[in-house]
Amino acid sequence: MTDSLPVVDVRGLHVRFGEVEAVAGVDLQAYAGQATALLGRNGAGKSTTMRVLAGVVPPTAGRAIVAGHDVHTETLRVKQLVGYCPDVGGLVPRATPWEHLQLSARLRRMDHWEDRARDLLERFELGDVAHRVTAGFSHGMGRRLSVVLAALHEPRVLLLDEPFDGVDPIGVEATFDVIADARSHGACVLVSTHLRELAIEACTTILVLRGGSRVATMAAAEMAGEEGARAYRGLLD
Amino acid sequence: MPTAVSSTSPNSALRAVADVGHLMRFRAGTVRRRGRLPLTVALFVAITAAVAVGPALVEGAGGEGRGLDVLVLLPTALAGFTALTVLSAVASGGGRELIPHEQAWAFPVSPTTDHLGALLLAPLNISWLLQAWTLLGATAYAVGPDRLPEAQVIVVLWVMASTAGAQVLAWSIEGVRRVPHGIVGVRLLTVVVLGLALGLQMANYLVVLLDQIPTRLLVVAMVDGMSLRWAATVAVVAISIVVSVVLGAVPAHIASRRVPRDQVEIESGGHEARPDPRSPLLGLIRTDRASVWRSVPMRRGLVVLAVGPGLVALLGDLPWNSLTILPGLVASGGALLFGVNAWCLEGRGSLWRESLPVEPTLVFAARAWVLAEFLLAASGVTVALGSVRAGVPNAPELTALLCTVVVVTVQVVAAGMRWSGQRPFAADLRAARSTPAPPVVMVGYSSRLAISTTVTGLVFSGVARLPDWQVSILIAVPFVAWSSVRLLRARAVWIDPVERARITTTVAV
Repeated sequence: MTDSLPVVDVRGLHVRFGEVEAVAGVDLQAYAGQATALLGRNGAGKSTTMRVLAGVVPPTAGRAIVAGHDVHTETLRVKQLVGYCPDVGGLVPRATPWEHLQLSARLRRMDHWEDRARDLLERFELGDVAHRVTAGFSHGMGRRLSVVLAALHEPRVLLLDEPFDGVDPIGVEATFDVIADARSHGACVLVSTHLRELAIEACTTILVLRGGSRVATMAAAEMAGEEGARAYRGLLD
Repeated sequence: MPTAVSSTSPNSALRAVADVGHLMRFRAGTVRRRGRLPLTVALFVAITAAVAVGPALVEGAGGEGRGLDVLVLLPTALAGFTALTVLSAVASGGGRELIPHEQAWAFPVSPTTDHLGALLLAPLNISWLLQAWTLLGATAYAVGPDRLPEAQVIVVLWVMASTAGAQVLAWSIEGVRRVPHGIVGVRLLTVVVLGLALGLQMANYLVVLLDQIPTRLLVVAMVDGMSLRWAATVAVVAISIVVSVVLGAVPAHIASRRVPRDQVEIESGGHEARPDPRSPLLGLIRTDRASVWRSVPMRRGLVVLAVGPGLVALLGDLPWNSLTILPGLVASGGALLFGVNAWCLEGRGSLWRESLPVEPTLVFAARAWVLAEFLLAASGVTVALGSVRAGVPNAPELTALLCTVVVVTVQVVAAGMRWSGQRPFAADLRAARSTPAPPVVMVGYSSRLAISTTVTGLVFSGVARLPDWQVSILIAVPFVAWSSVRLLRARAVWIDPVERARITTTVAV
């Protein structure tokens, strides 16, 4: 894979919600300048793993290190280094896209963020609705804005949970560009998705989760085509 | 939002009634602490029986003295109940929903079902319950034990008729609000009605008018006992219930076919960019304020809460020492608009907000501050309106009122933030009918808030009569200290990462 140290290093991660074990011993490593896809069925633990890496959900057991910081003990530092696009919604319904960007920039102590924000909004074709509350947005518009918010501060670790869900081809291309930009800047990108073909196109490595655990790690190219689809199908059962 | 084909035919009406049953069962199945339900129902029945019978057994009940005084006021109380139900149903855009619209839109829930559901849920409202119990109790005391059953039958029927009639009016007004310029029209109508009431009061004609109020016929029938007049009255009120329940489906269908303009205006309107906030805390406060003031149910609810009690005080010419009751009432109502489930403000955006690099203490401080200023704004308007005719207060009265405002605000913020952490719910608070928690839970919250803030208001009402203004401050200190401790406990829950994750992931669903 790579000889360098992983930017995201997860070992024996467990997350429990009461009786339910959402993540049951996941191990994963992701590297700078690489994009890693998390694939798996519903309930495989992809989104929960992403939430742990974003500092939103604390791990029940195990260790998750992001850019050298433990998410459990240095949560705030991790949040400064991570850009996170959640799987559901991800937007404050009665705030405008610009207000979202403004808050994110203020809490990250960013200066001169406006030009990059405008550029991202234009690339995702959201410039015209920058000052409209997001409650009236379509699902796809919401997804696109969530990617913009995750990418605004050029994070060391970019976490995109279902970024392609319900997004039109223009939005998908813009998301590909964001992933490529992040990689070129040396960021580590993690993409959780159900869309295998898009994951192969956007990412270098594929991790397959099942029942809260990792069952396979392979190069994206190995997942391509009919044979890759069969292999993936076999990993899901 | 109801999506079924609009129809009020007998077949679809029967289906709508059956659907109410299905939805009620579904709703009951989602109650988290179902074990408590029988106890709650038993408590409700016991209280109702006690207030409906107890006062009739008190000495002087049904007599010529105070019993007669209460009897004379009964027609106004009956009309007051009607006014309250109308206000409640109109303000909430047609009453409570059996199932939130964002969950119901994929199902064929007809407007008739929605209408019947709103009627069934109307009593799950503490102000409705308190008023109804007050009516039952006052009637029992006024008529005494001899004619009690006959009188209470009329009261119960009147309560039902008022609720059903209010629902018809609420759907009709909601229908009007949804036509072009309808919102302006409804606001103008409200101003005219309020102006008229104020004018009548200023001209000392309101009492004369209340003496002629048609509800006195109900009281006459109660006093008559079992008689032809009583039977005719019962029949007329019963028929009016049936007519209102059936008739309500028509404006409900009409309103459901129209777009809610206030919600659309807010969600499609632009908000110019403002300069960057000067600090992270101010940034969080600004976002939270936007979530509150751009929400239709919160704006509408706040206006009703702030102006309603203020106008009552204005019309009733309340003295300063009685105004201390109002801030608690208003603060409790304000908390029920979002404060009892304060973390739902961001809705699905809470996962993103939680991923931002900010101390959880700052997030908590911003939310508590915005809730407090929301409650203070409402209390301020109420007190300002009530003070118009109350003259110049003396130092003890003014201090007592200011202390009440501070104490009930801290009390309610502490309670709201505590409950928000203990029992979070996913709620979008977009439509006028949205509530931050399920109806049964809201009854519990409103009862507890009403008790604590009313007691506080009564304490300071008594203190306002004392000669020393310092007494209010001395009494306020322990109140504020105790509520501050509870607020800090709620903050401790929020700071805990596991608890915060539970809250965040629950409201983000």
